[in-house]
Amino acid sequence: MDPMDAIKATYFQECDELLASLEEGLLALEAGEGDSDTINAVFRAVHSVKGGAGAFGFDRMVEFAHVFETALDAMRAGKLDPEPEVVKLMLRATDVLVDHVQAAKGEGAVDEGRAAAMADDLAALTSSEAPKPAASEAAAATTDEWGFAPLKFDFGDEASAASEAKWRLVMRPAPQMYAKGHDAALFLRELARLGDAQVSLDASALPDLESLQPETPYLAWTVELPASVEEAAIRDVFDFVGEDCPIELTLEGGEAPAAPSAEAPAADMQALLQAVQDESSPETSATVPPAAAEKGSADKGAPKGAQGATIRVDLERVDRLIDLVGELVINQAMLAQRVAESELACSSSVAIGLDELEQLTREIQDSVMAIRAQPVKSVFQRMPRLVREIAGATGKQVRLVMEGEGTEVDKTVIERLSDPITHMLRNAIDHGLETPEERAAAGKPEEGAVRLAALHRSGRIVIEVSDDGKGINRPRVRDIAVEKGLIAADANLTDDEIDNLIFLPGFSTASSVSNISGRGVGMDVVKRSIQALGGRISIASQPGKGSVFTLSLPLTLAVLDGMVISASGQTLVAPLTAIVETLRPKPEDVRALGPAGAVLAVRGAHVPLIDVGVALGLRHAPIDPDHGVVLLVESEGGGRSALVADEIQGQRQVVIKSLEANYQRVDGIAAATILGDGRVALILDVEAVVEKRLNERHAPLAKAS
Amino acid sequence: MLRLSPVLDLGAAAPLWRGLCEARGAAIEIDASQVERIGGLCLQVLLAARTQWRADGRSFAIVQPSAAFADGVRLMAAADLAPQQEDVQ
Repeated sequence: MDPMDAIKATYFQECDELLASLEEGLLALEAGEGDSDTINAVFRAVHSVKGGAGAFGFDRMVEFAHVFETALDAMRAGKLDPEPEVVKLMLRATDVLVDHVQAAKGEGAVDEGRAAAMADDLAALTSSEAPKPAASEAAAATTDEWGFAPLKFDFGDEASAASEAKWRLVMRPAPQMYAKGHDAALFLRELARLGDAQVSLDASALPDLESLQPETPYLAWTVELPASVEEAAIRDVFDFVGEDCPIELTLEGGEAPAAPSAEAPAADMQALLQAVQDESSPETSATVPPAAAEKGSADKGAPKGAQGATIRVDLERVDRLIDLVGELVINQAMLAQRVAESELACSSSVAIGLDELEQLTREIQDSVMAIRAQPVKSVFQRMPRLVREIAGATGKQVRLVMEGEGTEVDKTVIERLSDPITHMLRNAIDHGLETPEERAAAGKPEEGAVRLAALHRSGRIVIEVSDDGKGINRPRVRDIAVEKGLIAADANLTDDEIDNLIFLPGFSTASSVSNISGRGVGMDVVKRSIQALGGRISIASQPGKGSVFTLSLPLTLAVLDGMVISASGQTLVAPLTAIVETLRPKPEDVRALGPAGAVLAVRGAHVPLIDVGVALGLRHAPIDPDHGVVLLVESEGGGRSALVADEIQGQRQVVIKSLEANYQRVDGIAAATILGDGRVALILDVEAVVEKRLNERHAPLAKAS
Repeated sequence: MLRLSPVLDLGAAAPLWRGLCEARGAAIEIDASQVERIGGLCLQVLLAARTQWRADGRSFAIVQPSAAFADGVRLMAAADLAPQQEDVQ
């Protein structure tokens, strides 16, 4: 990759993070949870985006970000109150800024009209409130183009130093800085935007023309900025260069110099404060107002502390590591198998060493998986914008409540969560919520609430999308299903079964096709993509009160704790999370039901018996449950079933190898794995097996198997 | 007469330097009317050249500076490069 492209890629990556924190901050403000730190963080985010945009020459983005920043600056200065209306406008401005970034990436375009209108709205916020930032900016920009730029070398002027504290910044570009596409001119331009910058040039290192190396920097600059400019804002300008352009930043008027880089800022600020307080001589006149100094230190402390030390690693590397660890687990299982076959005593040193190796392998695996685990926040944070846009398009008032954003799940799962959630939210707003008038008529608040929640439940991640709308219109759903030939007109369906009709392919309830949802690619697509991930989706609806869509997914697509069973000579793995208990049934507990079915009495309740071999088509006749073992499994909805297998071999952690990626999707099978003896074993999709058998309860046996 | 190219960035520094080295020994007028952007590296070449011409006792002048050129050198605190005619000492 071209070095410039690499830098740009890094910038865009940072943009995504900055924009996310911007939106997060604004949402906090909207919820009334923000304080001055939040406003500062929001301001910094916009500022950093703008800074990078300037460096890469994305002029339109700079223009827009500048207007946005000016408004935020007014808010920061307390001249603009973060009222709900203002924050809402800023949230929409964030959307425009996101568009700008996307456009700069070459993905999508900016709606110029919208951007211009937004810029005007933002400018209107500040024009009445605070003309100051704009004015000083203008003043800086319109300094006589031909003429005089003050060259100030004279720092000994005590009178002026005494009257006003100043930041003094010395920047000395390193040789590699220009080579990487940076330019001192751009930094100086950025600094000039921050406030009234007095720039002076140090050309003392410049050699004579003949011996000059044209690509080696010799010049250094000293920039003076008013103390009112935030230190973080100044440092932000140099965010992208780091060591390539060493800077020294000092607060003129105090004695102690600040650290040349961001290291140990607190200690330095303390020294500075100390110096300020100790200083009594009027000649040196340390006039840093302690308040300003404290502000600086607080500003620095908060974001730095919150970040923690992280590194960016190519996902590919992590994936390779995970693959390797998977191989390690398989290899370790094979080794264990060999040792077992060699019939060494359990207490032999080899067996003990192997046990330790197993524990270690497991720990390595857990740690490696943790690297890839990410909070679902990265998906959730895209949703507020979506909700705003759908709400705008449908004319409904929607409040989105998000919970459990910190819930962690494997990255491979995260990436594929976005589409289903988007679809479910669209569905909830478009079909679930009523219009404000309808809601008012039904005695509900005009603003509808949509809740998006993530939580861990028994080794799976559960995502719930609920609304307080009208719920599923069951008679209508039934009518449509009959009309489309999906069910027989005289079919006798439970409420649950009717609700689940909406997951059938080709089902769409919207009487008019809107461009938000209801193009016939509705919930069946969601269901299929969820199932492809080994997940399930269910719905619960109460007429007039709303619906809850619940989808549950495995936490990872890489490993699984399973029970190894055999049926008809095949080795299968049942996910441990689904199994409630295992038992050997007594003959008297098994009762026949219908021509082929049977139920098992377990502690007073009857559960359907399902022969695993038959369910998978491995044999035609079920084995006698007395001779097999029964796995009592619980499905998502809470219903229990009893799976009959020939025997249980043991419990083990297995590495999931996708069948879809290597072969194709098979009903009833979630994936495959490689066992210790090198054989391939299929991993059962317990839910699908149960569902399949229950749905076939009325069908003839021959067809079922 | 030397005409500055529109973009005076990293890539333009070496050609500019060569051009100036070759032009040594005679009075020079540099046309900055086409400049759209000037960076730190080209600035230092121009500054070194000016010092050189002064030392050589020749006239060194940048004429018709574009607004971008004037603005650029002003930002980098070298505004005196743009407007005034540098006289022979």
